[in-house]
Amino acid sequence: MIDTVKKDYNIITNEFCGYQVTYVNSNRVKSVPLAEDNTDYQAIQEWIADGGTVVDNPPE
Amino acid sequence: MAIDKITTPAIADDAVTNAKVSYNNNQFRNIIINGDMSIAQRGTSFTGIGDGDSQYTLDRFKWAEEGSTDTAAYTISQSTTVPSGQGFAKSFKVDCTTADTSVDANNIQYVGTAIEGQNLQYLKYATSSAENMVLSFWVRSNKTGTYGVALINNESTERLYSQTYTISSADTWEKKTLSYVGDTSNGFDNDNGSSLLIQWYLVAGSGKTSGSSQTWGSNTQANRAAGQTVNLADSTSNEWYITGVQLEAGTTASDFEFLPHDVNENRCLRYCFVVGNTPTNGERNRYANVGTYYTATQFFSGVYYPVVMRATPSFTAVGSNTAQAFTIYSANAGKTSTAVGRDAISATNIGYVITTASAGQGDGGLGAWNVGYYGIIEAEL
Repeated sequence: MIDTVKKDYNIITNEFCGYQVTYVNSNRVKSVPLAEDNTDYQAIQEWIADGGTVVDNPPE
Repeated sequence: MAIDKITTPAIADDAVTNAKVSYNNNQFRNIIINGDMSIAQRGTSFTGIGDGDSQYTLDRFKWAEEGSTDTAAYTISQSTTVPSGQGFAKSFKVDCTTADTSVDANNIQYVGTAIEGQNLQYLKYATSSAENMVLSFWVRSNKTGTYGVALINNESTERLYSQTYTISSADTWEKKTLSYVGDTSNGFDNDNGSSLLIQWYLVAGSGKTSGSSQTWGSNTQANRAAGQTVNLADSTSNEWYITGVQLEAGTTASDFEFLPHDVNENRCLRYCFVVGNTPTNGERNRYANVGTYYTATQFFSGVYYPVVMRATPSFTAVGSNTAQAFTIYSANAGKTSTAVGRDAISATNIGYVITTASAGQGDGGLGAWNVGYYGIIEAEL
């Protein structure tokens, strides 16, 4: 079960490149790419559609 | 060959039939990957699995819970308890560690796997020539009774075909065979998406069991585990095993198709590749992370996967403090990482961005996964 989702930015270009996801009862952080056929990406979109809020701290 | 001795009756019976040459007939007939449960890259034991989880454990097989909050918890493991004399070495074991005797109506818990649509086109679904299928598997539990199992067409218009099987004898391996008539009305997309789900239900509330299904129909929740009476979560003494899972076209189950280990593993690698100081495979790409300091503190490294993955994968670093997962060896010094991320990633390769104390910008080096650290690269369904 998704706990938190945070936008991930490319360290060189500063472009939005994916999500950092944490899960309930887990200390692991999954890096999920912006790929529509990635099932983690699909799960994030469903989580957002169900009201989940993505944390966005873009690089300055 | 079904007949391997030349005898008088055999000479008289000289017609070549499919039944006589059935051994090894139609290789890769098993639609299921890792049906013998022999590949377990992520590890061999997973504790505390429970509410809200949807977690791949042994390769290609996951445990999932859906619906309202549930208190049951399990340990999933790769077991050496197998049916005697059948050639299997491993099984998938579910061990209830926290019981829940009262199942909410909307709760359902299952072991499942999924198949890409492009691997199902030869079934000719959505045509008048749709092939029948047979699902066979070995199963064992202390908990006798009726269990549900379902095939789900997971395309935009979901379809469900659920059946039941009965475990008759406690703590005894039993082979189950279920037949499925082909669906002439709905097909599978010809792509890399999740088209067919196979789910073995272990806990199902009344909202999932009260219906009926013995043919392809809409994915009505009440039909999903229709007829199931067992609640595997009702005691911490309960356990359930499965192995030898085979789904094939046709009307009769053939013997389980054992693949060479390397072939089986390569098929799994399309969906998951565990790298580093791995839980079960020793060292995979542990020292293969050649790269360069793009800045004085950021080491960039890229590695290829052994097979093209199903899709652009996700990446998870695993260990007690994943910021320290790597040591970078460069200019006659080793520096422990202080942050680990991924750069570009695709179905063929991944790039890591590994931060260390200051080094020489432009220096080449080698990134090594430290002991106890590994990465899970997943393009699961």
